[in-house]
Amino acid sequence: MKRSKTMEFGVGLFMVAGILGLVFLGLRVSGLTLSAPTQSFKLEANFANIGSLKPRARVTMAGVTVGRVEAIELDTQWFDARVVLILNSELEGQLSKDSIASILTAGLLGEQYIGLSVGGDPEVLENGDTIRDTQSALVLEELIQQFVSNMASN
Amino acid sequence: MTDAPFIEIEDLYFSRGDHEIFRGVNMTIPRGKVTAIMGPSGTGKTTLLKLIGGQLTPESGRILIDGQDVHRLSRKALFTLRKRMGMLFQSGALFSDLDVFENVAFPLRVHTDLPDTMVRDLVLLKLQAVGLRGARYLTPAELSGGMARRVALARAVALDPELILYDEPFVGQDPISMGVLVQLIKRLNQALQLTSVVVSHDIKETLSIADYLYLIADGQVVAHGTPQTLDANQDPRVSQFIHGEPDGPVPFHYPAEAFYRDILGDPPATKIG
Amino acid sequence: MQSKFSNSTARITQLGRRGCDLMEALGRAGVFLFQSAIGVPSREGWRLWLHQMHFVGVLSIAIVLVSGLFIGMVLALQGYTILVDFGAEQALGQMVALSLLRELAPVVAALLFAGRAGSALTAEIGLMKATEQLTSMEMIGVDPLRRVVAPRLWAGFVSLPILTVGFSVVGIWGGYLVGVEWLGVFEGSYWSNMQASVTFINDIGNGMIKSAVFALVVTWIAVFQGYDLVPTSEGISRATTRTVVYSSLAVLGLDFVLTAIMFGGL
Repeated sequence: MKRSKTMEFGVGLFMVAGILGLVFLGLRVSGLTLSAPTQSFKLEANFANIGSLKPRARVTMAGVTVGRVEAIELDTQWFDARVVLILNSELEGQLSKDSIASILTAGLLGEQYIGLSVGGDPEVLENGDTIRDTQSALVLEELIQQFVSNMASN
Repeated sequence: MTDAPFIEIEDLYFSRGDHEIFRGVNMTIPRGKVTAIMGPSGTGKTTLLKLIGGQLTPESGRILIDGQDVHRLSRKALFTLRKRMGMLFQSGALFSDLDVFENVAFPLRVHTDLPDTMVRDLVLLKLQAVGLRGARYLTPAELSGGMARRVALARAVALDPELILYDEPFVGQDPISMGVLVQLIKRLNQALQLTSVVVSHDIKETLSIADYLYLIADGQVVAHGTPQTLDANQDPRVSQFIHGEPDGPVPFHYPAEAFYRDILGDPPATKIG
Repeated sequence: MQSKFSNSTARITQLGRRGCDLMEALGRAGVFLFQSAIGVPSREGWRLWLHQMHFVGVLSIAIVLVSGLFIGMVLALQGYTILVDFGAEQALGQMVALSLLRELAPVVAALLFAGRAGSALTAEIGLMKATEQLTSMEMIGVDPLRRVVAPRLWAGFVSLPILTVGFSVVGIWGGYLVGVEWLGVFEGSYWSNMQASVTFINDIGNGMIKSAVFALVVTWIAVFQGYDLVPTSEGISRATTRTVVYSSLAVLGLDFVLTAIMFGGL
């Protein structure tokens, strides 16, 4: 009887360890956050070209991660990319209206993310507003093309 | 009703692959008696028990147990019928992950809702009957062959069945445990009013406990009767078996071509390719 | 001429018979799975399942975790030497985590499981068959499919995904040990690159689905081989070998199919 009790305990421990392992994979490895959606606020930004930006990419400010990309879709009115950002709620009512969103690249070959920098407008962005001032992703091919045509015209 | 036979086997045919095992076997097994089914090795005696237990299905013919056709029953009804049967296997077939006590308790636990104390009493009663109450905490691996068979017997009668099937109960036993088993089978049959079917080729022991005998060979019943009538039977096939003569209608030699030709003649053409 | 002709017909006949045997075995295995897996577990069933979880799951922990640790360490070592040529050693965490979660953890854990638990299941059930325990259980009026096979089947099905999670966790930790502690990759980029590239549904979820499929197939093969074997000592040893061979092949083959569906855009 005693042996079967320790066996049951072992199996219980095994299953709990499995669940904990899954939680570890979720939080630490895939970077899931458990924060509730009420603690964030939403902004939109339109870009002429997003390069290879992916949903769930980081949104940073002065290098500090302050949110992530929620969704990317094609805006059929202007035929550019509309990117929905989810930011920490503490930034709500803090970002000036003329803040700039630019798509940056981590290192030469790294993934792309969004960098925010604030302007000087006394008016601030509220939940659901759109950032007007954006800088598209640098696409290497376009850069080279520009360079070559400049050389040719010179 | 009590005089009606407990098991009726009618015109049973069964074969395994191309090998015909039974070709029209008819038997009636009376209620409350010990009936022995005997025959040389390899005549399908164990197969017959499996057919009675419903584990194998015959090609034709039927087996009635207490009026129910075993092979027409649903799976559920068959399992219900099996609760009324016990079977003692050649090897004992004790569950190796349970100790002696739990082995005997197994049928009680799965088929009844008896409280633990009652299960304990019943198990000790059955173990006492086979003389192994003291061995209750041993595992099957620690038992000798004869002890394992006695525990298996206690397990087979745990639910007080009406029918008990013995598959070669005396094979490979030393004379002492053989004597113990003969005594046990006899006593259990009298005490519990069981119908017993013993499959065996140990003549002396079987004759001493059987009320009625069937002798099968070549897929058919060749003789049946009480031990006394069979002993006096003049049929050479019967007397060869009953008196244990090495050669007779059942040949000593496996079929082969003549010995002298085989040993002195040309080697038979071997198959090429 | 004559013998050549009869020879080739004999071969074709044999091939046909093999095919029929194979179909028959597959059918038996299917019916067998269906009959074992259905049915509401009783209180007793839970206890039996728990018992098997111990044998199948808990006792496989050591081999799975140790292998996971080494595989993670090797991945980091190999990955580093390749990535450092491109100056991309920051992506080491991503490489280790994705290789483990998508491929190596489900596949290697399933192969180890087939060797450790699958062969033991086959041998155990085979031995019960050879010593007439299954037949005697049937004669007592208890269905061995429910009593013996079902708890083992379910225990295997639950255990392997848990073991796979353990394999991944330990492997990622092993990669961390080698990459960060030994080779000097920056700790922050090991984790953040991993977090940026691993998605819960696509990577961890699909890995778990793979693992569940492998668990079902390996345990099914193991218990069926045990139940269906020829009850002699030779039969048991053959069936044990078959379990390991068939389940390894099934795992690798199914892995290709599942990967093609999940990540190959099929």
